[in-house]
Amino acid sequence: MHCPQTPDVLAASCDLQTGTSLSPELQAHVDGCALCRAELMQMAPVTQALTGWQNEQVPEWNRRDVGLLGHHHKPGKRGRKALSRIPLWASSWQQWAPLAASMVLAVAVLMQTSVSVSDQGWSVSFGGAASNADVLSLPQLEAYLAQYAEQQQEWNQQVLQVALQQFGDHTAESLYEMVTWFDDQRELDLQRMEAGFQQMLDRDYQTVNSMQQLASFVQFQSELQ
Amino acid sequence: MENDTELIEGALNGSLQAWETLVRRYESRVYNFSLRLTGNRDDAMDLMQDVFLGVYRNLDRFRGDAQFSSWVFRIAHNKAIDLARRRHASPVQDMDIDQLPEPGSAQDSPHTLLMNERGNQSIQAMLDSLGPDLRLLVELKVFQEMTFEDIAELQDVSANTVKTRFYTAMKKLRNRLENQDALSPNS
Repeated sequence: MHCPQTPDVLAASCDLQTGTSLSPELQAHVDGCALCRAELMQMAPVTQALTGWQNEQVPEWNRRDVGLLGHHHKPGKRGRKALSRIPLWASSWQQWAPLAASMVLAVAVLMQTSVSVSDQGWSVSFGGAASNADVLSLPQLEAYLAQYAEQQQEWNQQVLQVALQQFGDHTAESLYEMVTWFDDQRELDLQRMEAGFQQMLDRDYQTVNSMQQLASFVQFQSELQ
Repeated sequence: MENDTELIEGALNGSLQAWETLVRRYESRVYNFSLRLTGNRDDAMDLMQDVFLGVYRNLDRFRGDAQFSSWVFRIAHNKAIDLARRRHASPVQDMDIDQLPEPGSAQDSPHTLLMNERGNQSIQAMLDSLGPDLRLLVELKVFQEMTFEDIAELQDVSANTVKTRFYTAMKKLRNRLENQDALSPNS
């Protein structure tokens, strides 16, 4: 058994919670219809259960992103006005950064990019190993060392002259101190030179290491694909 | 405190501060609406963000002749239907025990939190017995307290049709509630 009025009665009873009241006709019907009264009684726990919902806290999220994204995709007539005030690059460049980095790496590997470092700065060359002009040959290295030794000798002579002026009276004791001081300076120079060469080697090693890592990364990416 | 109209005007003029204030004002309702419809927190966040994106894109079309909250839930209604269609069968996924909502504020006691959680879990289980259309109808009527006439206009059907569907939904919920009570260890 069912009553065709029950949906209306139930709907009206729900609206009761929002402040309205049953119309006189519906009220008269409910008073005389046991079926509708029973349905209303049975529905009451359902409504009560549903309204027991406790609002959950919204997890933290970036609300402004929606605004930026909304402008980015479809600026309305008035939205366009706002668009100019918002630095869109802040939201758009980030999504392209990984792709751009991958492209740069891929181009670097495909074109066999070579990075070389010298005392005149660093340079990049493409299409294989760096040209001979960028790499010191053995005669050039020997010439460079000879020039360096010559400069050192000149500098030592200058130091010696200064030292002779400083230790003017040439007593045996002061001469001994002078020689000792001179040896110390020479030792210091050797250490400096060694450190300079080591630094140059380190930079070369870092360059080679970087290129090896780059090649490994690209190979890994291509294997993934 | 600024009213909705001022905040909308501010947002349209490019004020992200006004937009954020507006979102904070309605996000709890939209989030819990989404949570009840989708049944899990991740999907609720996605739906909520989708709703606010729709709100933002159409903000310049808001005429102000209706309440802003009604207009927001009109968009939320359409987004929920889109989501249901994307899922083909039902917008509801079985609730994972780890995905249970954590209702209430951080100041609530553990006991209150537990009771709230159980209560929401029970309501979610009841709503699970409904298909997407009826669930949305119950949501709009019971939780959003819309009139049957407004729902009818929103869904482009007659008010009588809405009332009949609502009665059907309530009967299903009642059956589910009775089953839950029968299975409850305290019964």
